Amino acid sequence: MPFEMIVGAWVATGLTLLIFSFLYKDNPLFKLAEHLYVGVSVGYVSVKTYDTVIVHLVVKPIVENGEIALLIPVAIGMLMLTRYVPKAAWMSRYAFAFIVGMGAGLAIPRTVSSFILKQVEDTIRPLLSMTGSDGVTFSMNLLNPASHLNAIIILIGVSSVLFYFFFSIEHSGVGKAVARTGILFLMISFGAGFGYTVMARMSLLIGRLTDLIEFSDTSYGRPTVWLSLLTVGALFLLARRGREQPPDIH
Amino acid sequence: MWMAGMTFSEKMLKIDRRIIFLMIGLCTLLPLLYPVGLPIKTSSEVRGVYDHIESLPEGSVFLLSIDFDPASKPELYPQAIALLRHAFKKNLRVITMTLWVSGTGMADQLVTQVAKEMGKENGTDYTFLGWSPGGQAVIINMGQDLYSAYPSDYRGKPTKELPILEGVRSLKDVGYMVSLGAGRPGVEEWYVFGKDKYKFEMGGGCTGVMAPGLYPLLRSGQINGLIGGLRGAAEYENLIGKKGKAVAGMDAQSATHLAIIALVIMCNLFYFSLRQQRG
Repeated sequence: MPFEMIVGAWVATGLTLLIFSFLYKDNPLFKLAEHLYVGVSVGYVSVKTYDTVIVHLVVKPIVENGEIALLIPVAIGMLMLTRYVPKAAWMSRYAFAFIVGMGAGLAIPRTVSSFILKQVEDTIRPLLSMTGSDGVTFSMNLLNPASHLNAIIILIGVSSVLFYFFFSIEHSGVGKAVARTGILFLMISFGAGFGYTVMARMSLLIGRLTDLIEFSDTSYGRPTVWLSLLTVGALFLLARRGREQPPDIH
Repeated sequence: MWMAGMTFSEKMLKIDRRIIFLMIGLCTLLPLLYPVGLPIKTSSEVRGVYDHIESLPEGSVFLLSIDFDPASKPELYPQAIALLRHAFKKNLRVITMTLWVSGTGMADQLVTQVAKEMGKENGTDYTFLGWSPGGQAVIINMGQDLYSAYPSDYRGKPTKELPILEGVRSLKDVGYMVSLGAGRPGVEEWYVFGKDKYKFEMGGGCTGVMAPGLYPLLRSGQINGLIGGLRGAAEYENLIGKKGKAVAGMDAQSATHLAIIALVIMCNLFYFSLRQQRG
């Protein structure tokens, strides 16, 4: 087993246990791991961004290949920094205008096409179909997303949810029934979303526990066992110290 | 805390949350230590991705965008491993990249590990292009000219000299593309700025949290398959016949889901019983 793998296993196990210690209660060990996570993430992203953008995409092409045109985006980018100089801050507006204009120009037509027109097209499906000699057909298969029954359910769902968010008329009588149907569809949607969220969170727990089981192996030096004992011991000491110290009355 | 005179329902509703944590922890840990091997049924959305890769002729270009970082590793890493194993087994030309700067090192490790396992050579059978800034702008740039978006690969080798990219000028030359996304930029951006504009076939993989939001794209045929969370990864591992960490985690997933369902039912029972007692 390479040395760096063993060190990695000990660090990963230790940090996992420190984070899990929050399940007992908020404590300095958890805070240590939390701050380390934030610090390491920011450090990693900063270094990677500097290396990729400044070194490889700006400095090297200009210095080695003489790509002078790159100075234009660099200048626009530098204008952003004028925000820190109050007298020159107005210059940053040109950079922001460029970003907002370009972003909106790129995003609006594509988003309208992908998320509105395509989705509307898919929602408006035929409720019956004509197939060869069979004449008019209606498929009842709930498990087939393309069935006619599902097309009707989608039609009812979309219409009732849209009606629920239509506040210009009072939801009473038939309107109340439609709005209630809309709520029912929304609840089913929230339930599905919550179910998937639970599944995702449990997957994360499974991922960490799988690693902890793997790192309890002798080839790694059993970091899970030793560090679990150490974490429990530290929590015990912290709890005892907390009981001995008089509460801060201020 | 429990107080004298409390009914059973009241005591249960005020139970120490750490007991619930312990219960969920045990429900996860025990099946991982003693797996039962519950059956895994393949869904049509996962099969959509598998079937498309299976239909690609040898030497086709397969683009895998690893758009996640270590925070989503338990769900998306097994998906990426299974997809890469499948693509390498089919002898496809595999181009990998990431739109997430925080996932660069992990993505490189992942691709290198699977390629080594499958006996593939960097530059000839596969390449990892690394990260390029801009998110959606990178996708548009790749659609116009791949070499301008990525002048060099992750190891600093000029992309124009890579044998694997022979005949590949832009996204239009990609046979199939899968984005494994844990957020933005991810599957949606690849569809909006990539597939919809440059017309290549595309599938997606995502975390469980994101899956319900991507089903409308699947139903409308905007993407031809979707691998959702660890469950989706397990289904894909089953399809390629190489069981990994995802299949191993399925027993634990089922056990925790059962425990949570039981807790929800019990909480409701205690709540309604308490309401009845109070009139």
